Amino acid sequence: MTVAIIDGIQVYSAVQKALERHGTSKDELIPLLVDVNSTLGYLPTEALGQISVATKIPISQIMSVASFYSMLSTKPRGKHVIKFCENAPCHIMGGRQVWEALLDSIGVTEGETSNDGKWTLATTSCIGACGVGPVMMVDDDLYGNLTPEQIPGILSQYA
Amino acid sequence: MSKIRSLVLVSSDPFSINRGAVEVFEAIKKEIAKYGLQDEIEVSMIRDTGRHDIAPLVIIYPEAVVYGPVLVEKVPFLVEEHLLKGRVAAGLQAPQRELSGRIAWISARKGTLPAEQRVVLKNVGIIDPIDIEDAITHDGYQALGKVLSEMTPRAVIDELKRAGLQGRGGAGFPTGLKWDFVSKSTGIPKYIICNADESEPGTFKDRVILEGDPHSIIEAMAIAGFAVGANHGYIYIRGEYKLAQERMSIAIEQARAYGFLGENIFGTGFNFDIVVHSGAGAYICGEETALIESIEGKRGEPRARPPYPTTHGLWGKPTLVNNVETLANVTPIIRNGADWYRRLGTPSSPGTKVYTILGNVNITGMIEVPMGITLREVITIYAGGMKHNGTFKLAQTGGSSGSIIPASLQDTPMDFESFRRAGVSLGSGALLICDENTCVVDLTRVLLNFFRRESCGKCTPCRIGTRKLYEILTHIADGVGTMQDIVDMERIFPPLEQLSNCGLGTTAGTPVAGMLNHFRAEVEAHIKLKICPSGICPMNGSLSKELEKTWISVQA
Amino acid sequence: MVQLTIDGQQLEVPEGITVLSAARRNGIKIPTLCAHRSLTPYGGCRLCVVEIEGMRNVQTSCTMPVSNGMVIHTNTEKIKESRKFVLSMLFSERNHFCMYCQVSGGECELQNAALDEGMDHWPLQPNWTNYAVDASHPYYVLDHNRCILCRRCVRACAEMTGNFTLATEERGASTMIIADYGVPLGESSCVSCGNCVQQCPTGALIDRQSAYRGLEPKADHIKSTCVGCSVGCAVDLIVHDNQLLRVEGDYDAPLNGGMMCELGRFKPIFDKQTRIRTPMIRKDGALKAATWDEAVAVIIENIKDKKVAALASTRLPAEALAIFKEFFADDLGGKMVTSIEENFPTQGLNEVRKSGLEGTLKDLRESDCVITIGADLFKSHMVAGFFVKRNLPNGTKLIVIDAGDNQMAERADIFVQPKQGSDYEFLQGLAGNISPEEVNKSTYVNIKSLEDSINLIKAAKKPVFVYGKGLSQQDGKVAEKSPLQALIGLAKSVNGKIFSPKGKANSLAAAAYKLDKPFDTHGFETVYLALGDDDPSNYLIQRLEKVPFLVVQASHDSKLMAKASVVLPVSTWVEQGGHYVNLDGLLQTTQPGTKAPEGVLSNEEALQIVAKASGFALKANWKSELKDYIRE
Repeated sequence: MTVAIIDGIQVYSAVQKALERHGTSKDELIPLLVDVNSTLGYLPTEALGQISVATKIPISQIMSVASFYSMLSTKPRGKHVIKFCENAPCHIMGGRQVWEALLDSIGVTEGETSNDGKWTLATTSCIGACGVGPVMMVDDDLYGNLTPEQIPGILSQYA
Repeated sequence: MSKIRSLVLVSSDPFSINRGAVEVFEAIKKEIAKYGLQDEIEVSMIRDTGRHDIAPLVIIYPEAVVYGPVLVEKVPFLVEEHLLKGRVAAGLQAPQRELSGRIAWISARKGTLPAEQRVVLKNVGIIDPIDIEDAITHDGYQALGKVLSEMTPRAVIDELKRAGLQGRGGAGFPTGLKWDFVSKSTGIPKYIICNADESEPGTFKDRVILEGDPHSIIEAMAIAGFAVGANHGYIYIRGEYKLAQERMSIAIEQARAYGFLGENIFGTGFNFDIVVHSGAGAYICGEETALIESIEGKRGEPRARPPYPTTHGLWGKPTLVNNVETLANVTPIIRNGADWYRRLGTPSSPGTKVYTILGNVNITGMIEVPMGITLREVITIYAGGMKHNGTFKLAQTGGSSGSIIPASLQDTPMDFESFRRAGVSLGSGALLICDENTCVVDLTRVLLNFFRRESCGKCTPCRIGTRKLYEILTHIADGVGTMQDIVDMERIFPPLEQLSNCGLGTTAGTPVAGMLNHFRAEVEAHIKLKICPSGICPMNGSLSKELEKTWISVQA
Repeated sequence: MVQLTIDGQQLEVPEGITVLSAARRNGIKIPTLCAHRSLTPYGGCRLCVVEIEGMRNVQTSCTMPVSNGMVIHTNTEKIKESRKFVLSMLFSERNHFCMYCQVSGGECELQNAALDEGMDHWPLQPNWTNYAVDASHPYYVLDHNRCILCRRCVRACAEMTGNFTLATEERGASTMIIADYGVPLGESSCVSCGNCVQQCPTGALIDRQSAYRGLEPKADHIKSTCVGCSVGCAVDLIVHDNQLLRVEGDYDAPLNGGMMCELGRFKPIFDKQTRIRTPMIRKDGALKAATWDEAVAVIIENIKDKKVAALASTRLPAEALAIFKEFFADDLGGKMVTSIEENFPTQGLNEVRKSGLEGTLKDLRESDCVITIGADLFKSHMVAGFFVKRNLPNGTKLIVIDAGDNQMAERADIFVQPKQGSDYEFLQGLAGNISPEEVNKSTYVNIKSLEDSINLIKAAKKPVFVYGKGLSQQDGKVAEKSPLQALIGLAKSVNGKIFSPKGKANSLAAAAYKLDKPFDTHGFETVYLALGDDDPSNYLIQRLEKVPFLVVQASHDSKLMAKASVVLPVSTWVEQGGHYVNLDGLLQTTQPGTKAPEGVLSNEEALQIVAKASGFALKANWKSELKDYIRE
């Protein structure tokens, strides 16, 4: 799997910026992690270590929290992350067929990253857009009322 | 698609059938056809309703007039008077005192179908959510002003108690009582938390309120702070709701600038401020103690209770946790008074409820109606009927943890009390409506997959039980189920409810219970005949392979 | 007090306790897995459920506080079914073969609970996934296949030791126990205290030596005291067939509450040292085996009318130290009779006592601001260190003052390194007697660190100052500039306590017997070293290099043997009973767990034989001299 290599300077500056924004108190741990995760795409071990030093929260606790929440990832992810809603409302409204179309188009299964590092395919809990289900998110873009036929077109918009 | 203007229901309990209900049903259809009204008027049979001596009953919506007993020969008169001329057919109405409790609520509606009645959504879509002045011209911060200048904390709590507001997060706990508990707790400081971690699949009412009318929540939290003696508030908004977080942050900034938040609000010496706290993707954080853990920067594992958050909440201090929709009810109650509020909804469940309508219906979306509307009314009137003229097979109420209810229960009024009696959960107000192309095994499997992923893993029954149920359902959907699987499921879901630590575990078995209660034959068809009657389940072993794969990835 | 009824029994119990402890106090058995009396209630496993009248669902007794008038049932059909359900869930989660497992030795709590409920099969299909076993740690193995995710190890690591190495990863069915950010245990921040291993109710965390050795019901549990350091943890020696299987902390002991450290728990079990089994005499440059009589005869030859220095280890029991002192100092009139720790651990003790500020472990446990100077509790007195470490997440502040390296520094709020020999100035600065600028000039500590420290100390309600050898080493050079006096002044000014961890297990007893002066063997013809089972430091060996005649009374082979003229084999602490005075002045007892090898005597007996052969009958009353040093 090839994903964008993140160097130490990037990690350091992402953590420092997040610390400036949120401070180091314990109740800011999750906002901190969300922040760094969104800058870097995931939470590298070095970032967790630096947050641990700054907040004085043990590294095991930070790892424990980071792996608990589904919006945080402790593993590198692809350039684009597809989050497909797999909940009942979307499923009933035709989500299963759309999911199969996604699997076919990308060629990886759930939770995996494509060989070219372009896509990570993930499922997500409800994103609160059930009125227009089935829905998925590509990075921060939301797509609703999906049909299997639309999938290749949507994916082709991403470089 | 034509617009349905009236809905006619004929009772079909054995006694009514005996007294000619079927003939009445046919006669009504014939009469309607005679006037060419068949596209505008829907006629259905409903289960047991009134007392036997007034059977058969005919109930006509939207006016909600109850007729009975209706004899075949009276049908032409009834149809002509009510459905053609639009007036109540004289002499045919069922005497009020003869109505059983089960349908007395219908006549309590004073002859109208519950129209959309916007209380919490009053300003949503009308005001500019990032313009506080717009909010102020639409009654914003009026209630806070009233509370701070005219009321004592006790008076605020009493008003809420009198209004009979119940928590809209799912459990329906009396809100006034909760506020009372926190106000009587002795710890300092106290905290107000708005639970905006709306993660229940199929529910997006809180998002709409947060995005459309953030000031109503800020105002309600400040009122809560005043009432219970708290100066700090948190709004825990789930991480996926970026727009709601942005708008709420802007609204808080504006409220601070206008002096509605911060030090010495309205010059009364009352201080209150609010912090927006983002979630990071965990359904379980909607559980109030898990939410508190999450704000404290920990894993969202629910705590053991007692002690309850009202005495030992955030940082171990007394904490009031209220859902967004609950809080959105506070300012209208303060502005208009408890008496006004009690006039909405049913006596045991006053007020309105926001429902999200989803699934195989023509119109999906959100409505706010008084408590006590029926599922049939929702489907026929608000959802514009089933999609592709499908047949209503089942609904799931209240999100993933809600009950699977068959078509036969669609005339139960939806309020906390009636649903509790029917053993159904109202939950968050999500109504997932499914047609005959829905396989109940497939649906339940999807629901259990959700619980399996979202269980925090703290307590044994939930961590393992949800996974076990999911595995069993996968086997059944794969055509490799056995009758032992049904026995196993029946062995797992009752203790799951009894033994789990929090709401997630206790309700995770609800869909399974509903499936086995109402659709056992369909499940058995999967096992004994190796067919999926709806043609949805693959029945070819492909799912089990996927399942194995997920376990291998866990191992690595 | 609260009145309640459990299974028909009317009970009166204190307020604030849980239903589980109310039941246990009254001999009513409720099975548990995730609950442990040394940990905060968790409510995870759900095995301890009970029915409480008036409550809808069954309730976990481990988390439910008692209240007046409660009526509780612990043994209804519903509860029995619930227990079976919980166990059947656990059985189906990972690989548990309880009904067939023979290797548990009868001490697996999961197996015992299952047997108690009469479970003899898997009610639901088990999961056959294999999880990797983490065998990277030198002392123990983490086998996820046996894990029931009760988190007792995680909680022990956090709540008891404050180490926070263990945690849980992921959630739901994917939950796993991890170390740090998911590294193998052997490469983690683990301090090898083994408290997690002792907590584990199944075979998920087992130590490499004792697991699978001998059935628990057949093993003897002997209550004793760890002599690894002056804390003196209460321990259970678990012995089978004259072999020490395990050392476990005693959960009932108020002192350590079940905690131990690497030194006490694993060192005795994983000991690879060679035992000395027979007396030896150097002949023609090599040590040759001899009888006790022969060896003692050679010793007598070399102490009669000779200038004899005698050194004892402070790991020896009080009984041995007392007769050591009586024989060498009183009877032989030796001028150089002391301990190998010399005066470092207890120097200045009297001054602190006089000030009335002496603190105890209890003060340390309850302190909201710990200031260490020249002491490293994480290294030298680990359990005392745990008391500090575990309070840090709850807001206890830690200021570490040490010119050198210090393991506590990593967790400290402030770590300052005054230059060598400037502790006095720094302490005076903390007390506000010297201006920050002057302190900066003489100690090189920046002004901000000093001011931050002053503020933390001022804000504390119960500051405790911990001083160690690092402080005393420079003490006494210029009497009026004593750092200890400065420390006493500082502690007095902020209403704090002064705590000294002392040294080895019996430092305080050694001080009581006046075996606490510096030694110099120069000019002595014979040195008698009563080492016992202590490890000789390289520095000690070096200092004994030039001794003309060296008698070593020891349990283990060491580099000292190359120098020794006569060697006497003695027992270890596991084989020998005796008394110890811990750092708080608590008089403690060790009990023999195993028998010493044939021909090996206790330290006391060895000294008695030598004394007797010299013509002295020893009658030391070891207790009377300790009197001033023992606290009740």
